[in-house]
Amino acid sequence: MRLTVNGAPANVPPEWRDESLLQVLREHLGLAGPKFGCGAGLCGACTVLLDGAPVRACVLPVAGAVGRAVVTIEGLARPAGALHPVQQAWLDEAVPQCGYCQAGQIMAAVALLRAQPSPTDADIDAALDGHLCRCGTHARVRRAVARAAGRPGPR
Amino acid sequence: MRRRTALAAGATAVLLPGCTLPVIPRRPAPSLEDAAGWVRHEAGRYTVRLPRAEMGQQVATAFQQIACDELGAAWDAVTIDFTDTSAMARVKGTVGSDSVREFALPLARACATLRLALARGHSGRLLAAEELPAAQLRAFSGQGVWVGRASPLVQALDIVTGRPLFAADVRLPGMVYGRVLRAPGSPELASRPRRWDATAARAVPGFLDLVQDDRLAHTGQAQALAILAATPGALDRIESALRVEWERLEAPAARTPQEQLALDAHLATGALQHVPRGGRPAADTAWTVDLRLEVPLAAHACIEPRAAVARWRDDGMEVWAGHQDPFYVRDVIARRLGLREQQVTVRATRVGGAFGGKTLCTVELEAALLARHLGRPVKVQWTRAQEFAHGFHRPPSSHRVRARVEGGRLVAWWHAFSTSHILLPGAALPAWMQGGVAGVIGDAGAARGSEPPYRCPSVRVEYQLTRLEALTGPWRGLGAGPNLLAMESAIDECARSAGVDPLAFRLGHVDDARLAGVIRRAAAFAGWDRPALTAPDRLRGRGFACGIYKQAAYAAAVAEVEIDAADGAVRVTSLWCAHDCGLVINPDQVRAQVEGNLVWCIGMVLVEALPFEAGAVQARNFAESPIPRYRDVGRLRVDLVESRAPPGGAGETAMVAGAAAITNAIRDATGWRPARMPVRHNDILAALRARSHARTR
Repeated sequence: MRLTVNGAPANVPPEWRDESLLQVLREHLGLAGPKFGCGAGLCGACTVLLDGAPVRACVLPVAGAVGRAVVTIEGLARPAGALHPVQQAWLDEAVPQCGYCQAGQIMAAVALLRAQPSPTDADIDAALDGHLCRCGTHARVRRAVARAAGRPGPR
Repeated sequence: MRRRTALAAGATAVLLPGCTLPVIPRRPAPSLEDAAGWVRHEAGRYTVRLPRAEMGQQVATAFQQIACDELGAAWDAVTIDFTDTSAMARVKGTVGSDSVREFALPLARACATLRLALARGHSGRLLAAEELPAAQLRAFSGQGVWVGRASPLVQALDIVTGRPLFAADVRLPGMVYGRVLRAPGSPELASRPRRWDATAARAVPGFLDLVQDDRLAHTGQAQALAILAATPGALDRIESALRVEWERLEAPAARTPQEQLALDAHLATGALQHVPRGGRPAADTAWTVDLRLEVPLAAHACIEPRAAVARWRDDGMEVWAGHQDPFYVRDVIARRLGLREQQVTVRATRVGGAFGGKTLCTVELEAALLARHLGRPVKVQWTRAQEFAHGFHRPPSSHRVRARVEGGRLVAWWHAFSTSHILLPGAALPAWMQGGVAGVIGDAGAARGSEPPYRCPSVRVEYQLTRLEALTGPWRGLGAGPNLLAMESAIDECARSAGVDPLAFRLGHVDDARLAGVIRRAAAFAGWDRPALTAPDRLRGRGFACGIYKQAAYAAAVAEVEIDAADGAVRVTSLWCAHDCGLVINPDQVRAQVEGNLVWCIGMVLVEALPFEAGAVQARNFAESPIPRYRDVGRLRVDLVESRAPPGGAGETAMVAGAAAITNAIRDATGWRPARMPVRHNDILAALRARSHARTR
C-alpha cells in the first residue's frame, strides 16, 4: 500500500494497513503535526488535506487515502522554507496558546482560502466552527484568516 | 504552606498498616540557589532551564524576555529548555497563576547576577543569585528592551509548521502502545474486571500483552486491565475483542451529584461545616435579595488528551510528560515502582492545555508500569472517553446568596454554598484522609474568592464539602468562578433593588483602589454610559461584574448579549474586560490569557455541563459535553492596566468577572435571573413566556 504525502511517496507496511490515516501519519511516518483529540471527527485537531479538501484523519482508514494527495501541516511551507501565508498570518497575529488544535485550524483555513480567496467573517466562522479550541484563540484565528486573505480581521 | 503542614501531620497521625499513603505534591518556593541552576552560559550563548510547565500561557516566552533583558543578550542567544527532573532542583507544580508572580524575580536575579559576574571576569558556575533589589533589575524597573512588549513566541514557529512538541509526539525505537481499561463508572467506586476473552484478544493482529497490576488502580478503587499493542489502532480492536465484563463492588448513589450537595438540607440543620466569614445575621432579617445558583460538574476538555511515553533503560525510568508538575510525577512513579528518585527522570514537553486538570499522576504512571513490564518503550494516550470517565472535573456547586440593602447601602450579606473538594481532590486522597484534613481546614480552593470585596457591616460566608462519586479537583479559577458568579449576580440584584446603576453601586461599596480602577476602566472603554443598542426582533442587554483573584489581580467585565425571542438563543455579542495584574511582561500574551478566560466564561454560562448519572460520567465525547465554538464567541476586547505593582497572575483572573457579566446581561435583556448553569434556550423561552403572562394578567 502506497500513499502520497506532502508530494512524496510513502509505503504502508502490512501491520499498519488497518490503522487510521492519522495514526499512520503520526506513528509510522513521524508526521506529528496532525493531532489526536477526540477520535471521532468532532474536534478537528487531526485535519489534513486530501486532494485539497479538509478531512478528519482520525476517522479515515488509511486505505481511503491511497491514490490521493495527502497534505499535512508539515507540507505547507515552501521547499525553500518560506511559510505559507496562513502560517505567517498565524505568527503575525500571535494566535497559538497551547498549540494543540492549531495545525487542524490552519489546514481548515488553507482549504477555505483555496476554495474562497476572499471569505467574509461569516464564511470564516462557518469553515472553522467544527474546530474546537479550549484555550480560546477564536478571535485571533479569525483575524489571522482575514489577514491571510489580505484584509484586516474583525477586532 | 499551613495547609501542607496540616496535611502531612494528618497523614502521619492516622497512618495504619496496609494503607497506601498518597504521594503529596511538594511545593517549595524557588530559592536563589535554585534560580542560579536555571541559567547556564557557554561561549556567549545562554540556556534557561524553564522551571514552569508551558501549556499555552507563554511562560517560556515571558522568561526568555526577562532573561534577554537581564543578561543583556540578543533574543537568539538565549535558548529555553523545558523542565527535566534530572537537570535541576525540584520546583513546585505550575498551578495557581503564580509563575510570573513567584518565579520572575528569582529568574531575573539569577540572570542579572550572571551578567554582573561575567562582566567581572568570572567564568565558573553560578552558585546562587544575588538578592538584587527590583530597582536594579531591568525587567522590574521599566528599563527592559524586551519586557513590557510583544515578542516572538517560543515554539510558535514549531506549532505552525507541525514540529513534534507534545508528549504524544515523542517516538522512540521499538516503542509500542498501551491502554489501561477500567470499569465505565467513576474510579471512585470499587470495581474489577470479572471476566474477559483473552483468546480473542490474542488473536488480534498487533496484540502484545495483557497486564493485570494492582498499581494501575490510581485511587485504589477501580481495578484495571491493561493491553499492549504494536500499533495504536490495534488497541481499539483488542479492547473490542476482550469484551471485558466489569464487576461493580459498590453500588452508585441513587442521587445525582447536584442532589448530593443538598444545600437546603445542610442549611436546615444549622451552620455549614466551614465558615470563612463568621458574621451572624439576625434571624428575622428581611432579605432584599435571596437568590439561588446551581453550577454543574464540568470537564477541563483540553484538546490534548493526556499522554506519556516511558522507557526503562539502564536501570532507570525516563518519562516524557505533558504535565503541570513533573517532580510530582517523578515522586509518584518512584514510589509506585519502588525506585529511587534518581532512577526516574521526567522530561517535560509542551502541554496541550491543562487548566488545572493535568496535576495528578495518571497516564504517566500507566506508561511507566507498562514499559517496566514489557521492557520496551510504551506510549499511552487516553481516549476522549477516558478523559471524561477517569479524569477529575470542576465540582458542581449549589449557592444561596442573601443580601440586605437599606437606603442604598449593603448592610448584611450571607453566602452559603455546598460543593466538593478542589485542592484536596478525591482522585488523589482516600476518603479517610480527605475527610480528616478537609474536616479541619476546609478546602481553600472551594472557598476561593468567596469573601466579598464590598463594604458591608455583617458578612457571613459558609460552605459544606461533600465527597462525590464524580471525581473533582482544580479547574481554571477553582471556586472563584462559581463563587463570583453567585456573588456578582447578587450584587447586581442589590443595585437593581436600590434603583442604582450596578456599576455605581459597586463603586459605592469598594475600598480597594485597584478594584475601583478596573471598574472605571471597564466602564469607560465599554461605553457603559451610552444607551444600549436595541433591535426589533431581538432582546438586548448589558451586564457588569468584577472581582479580585487571589488578592493579587483584578478584573472588571462588561457583556452585551442578544437574545432571539423566537428560539431562546443567547449570543454574547461583545465582552469587554479591564484587567490589572500589576507588572506585565508580555502585554499581548496577557491579553491572550484574558481572551481565553472570557471564552471559558461564555462556556460556563451558555455551554458546559458534564452529565453524570448512576455513578458514571455519561459523556464519551464532545457531542455529549460540548465546549464553546466559533458561533459562541463574539467580540472580545481587553484593556490592560499596566503598573509596577508586583505581578499578580493572569491565567485565571478574568474568571471572576466574565460569567456574571453575561448572566447580568441576560437579566437586563429579559428581566429573568438565571439560576442554573448552563442557560439553555428552553430556560430563556420559559422565562419570556412567564414574563408575557405576567404582563397580560
